[in-house]
Amino acid sequence: MAILDLVRLDKHFGSVAAVSDVAFTVSDGEFMCILGPSGCGKSTLLRMIAGFETPTGGDIRIDGDSIVALGANRRPTAMVFQKYTLWPHMKVFDNIGFGLQLRRLPRAEIKRKVEESLALVSLSGYEERYPAQLSGGQQQRVALARALVLEPKILLLDEPFSSLDAILRVRLREELHRIQRRLNITAIFVTHDQEEALTLADRIAVMNSGRIEQIAAPADIYANPASLFVADFIGAMNLLEGEASGRQVRLGAVALPTPDGIAARQVTVAIRPEDLVVLDGPHPEAWSCAVEQISDLGHYRRAVLEVPQLPPMKIYLPKSLSVQERAALHVYPRRYLIYENGGAPREVSRPLPAAAAALLG
Amino acid sequence: MSAQQLAVPPPPIDGFWSGTRRSFQTMIRRNGFGLIALVLLALVILGPLYSVVLWAFAERWQYPSLIPQVFGLSFWERTFARADIAEALPFSIVLAATVTLISAVICLPASYAFARMKFRGRQLLLLSFLATNAFPRFGLYISIAVIFFRLNLIGTLPGVILIQLVNTLLLMIWIPTAAFQGVDRSLEEAALDVGASPLRVFVQITLPMVMPALSAALLLTFVNTFYEAQGALVVGLPRIVTMPVLMYSLINSQLIVQYGAIVSLVLWAPSLILLILAQRLLRGGYLTAGFGV
Repeated sequence: MAILDLVRLDKHFGSVAAVSDVAFTVSDGEFMCILGPSGCGKSTLLRMIAGFETPTGGDIRIDGDSIVALGANRRPTAMVFQKYTLWPHMKVFDNIGFGLQLRRLPRAEIKRKVEESLALVSLSGYEERYPAQLSGGQQQRVALARALVLEPKILLLDEPFSSLDAILRVRLREELHRIQRRLNITAIFVTHDQEEALTLADRIAVMNSGRIEQIAAPADIYANPASLFVADFIGAMNLLEGEASGRQVRLGAVALPTPDGIAARQVTVAIRPEDLVVLDGPHPEAWSCAVEQISDLGHYRRAVLEVPQLPPMKIYLPKSLSVQERAALHVYPRRYLIYENGGAPREVSRPLPAAAAALLG
Repeated sequence: MSAQQLAVPPPPIDGFWSGTRRSFQTMIRRNGFGLIALVLLALVILGPLYSVVLWAFAERWQYPSLIPQVFGLSFWERTFARADIAEALPFSIVLAATVTLISAVICLPASYAFARMKFRGRQLLLLSFLATNAFPRFGLYISIAVIFFRLNLIGTLPGVILIQLVNTLLLMIWIPTAAFQGVDRSLEEAALDVGASPLRVFVQITLPMVMPALSAALLLTFVNTFYEAQGALVVGLPRIVTMPVLMYSLINSQLIVQYGAIVSLVLWAPSLILLILAQRLLRGGYLTAGFGV
């Protein structure tokens, strides 16, 4: 049962600001993902919560009490690291039991708790192994058990699965999700992998150069990216530079209608691939284009379209639609976001034009 | 699938041996020069050893015979009956242990600092420990002896300990520094994270992981110091006589060759044992285990 508060947190390394003015609250039992490209300060942020870095300014509170003055060994947090950090000279049992021994728990209780936590990560019976005798995935599970056995108020995870192969990563991700839900523990998970963040998180905080760009639920972030950076970073997105004039935005040879009141001339229009509808024939408001490349992704196909005077555009095609490369298509942007001067976007959502029908195959 | 299908057929024995013979012949043909060099090298290294071992067990050995005419152990008794040897052997062991201990007290914290802290001139300081090995030893000792003479350290135990300490610095700084650097920071952080105090992290996490390398450094330092003769000779004489110094004088000024040979053999044994131990420790493996997959 724990609530984490970050209050205007800053971290400078010399003149470099690694984290600036980060403030958010993680509520009890919530799974928060901090997502951003490498070097954006997300690991530094986590290490400040764990106590390995001292903030330059601001405060960290757990259940209302500041923990900034406490050393890493006195904080009610537990961390799973990116690297394999099991102690090589200790057996699995001692690796997990080390923290309990430090707390002077009776032997029988240590044994019970270690066994419980090993069962939680599906590694019962591995007590007597040395870390070198475990696979990478098993080592990270033991590391998770080592963190959970202390019943921390906040569980911190610093890209724990990034050194594992893709299949194992997905499996461990699902297992972590199940464990977090079962224990209802407050967790903060740092990652650069958006798929990981979108599947695990209750809320995602997107970070860029030390600042939080947006905090919202995964579906929200996907549907309404608050900034151009988030729009570009999360999910596939077509970003088109354009010029606003009157009630439309000119994009090369084509144009899109806009709501009133765009002050800036230079804007960026963001269109998700799935918001491009393929029409059954040419239409004044549709864009005529050629299919440049098709990749089959199993349950759907991804195509790259060539619209005159625009950068290549991504679109998803249903498998039933028999379109070949070099074929001509007519696409209609049904929903798009207009970004001006780094502010919040304007959303435009419109129905299909009259007398046109979507080509569903 | 039956068990028989799974079984791997044994390798053909004939083929294996003929293959070896063939490759041995090709080796001679291709590397004839290398083999000759190897044999010559072995002669140069093993020849003197052969002579020392034979002399130690010879009662009588006259030129030009290749082996002694009479073997025996009587010189062993006579060697250990000598008062100077009975005194020098335990003294040398205690001296080497003392120097190793003092060196450890000075160097181990320093090497931890070298591995873990960033400070100005770190590289330069680290390299400076090479300096004592970069110049002719004896010249260095002579100039040190001049200073020691003014400080009244010639012929004293502190003088010998000091000059032998100089020799230990390189090993006792470089090996432990590399070992401490080899301990991943995040392993220590993980221990801190579960609640261990910094001191406990050092004692229970860092130290056990560098222990093999530290033990090797200690053993090598002990062996090196035990055999150190030049410094002890220049600074120690006439009052301080270590085993290697005694061996020098036995070899140089005694008409009886057996004394020198037996003392050499006696001095040789502990180093062999300790070096084998040190190698075991370094191969122990848990220095590197657990970091990979």
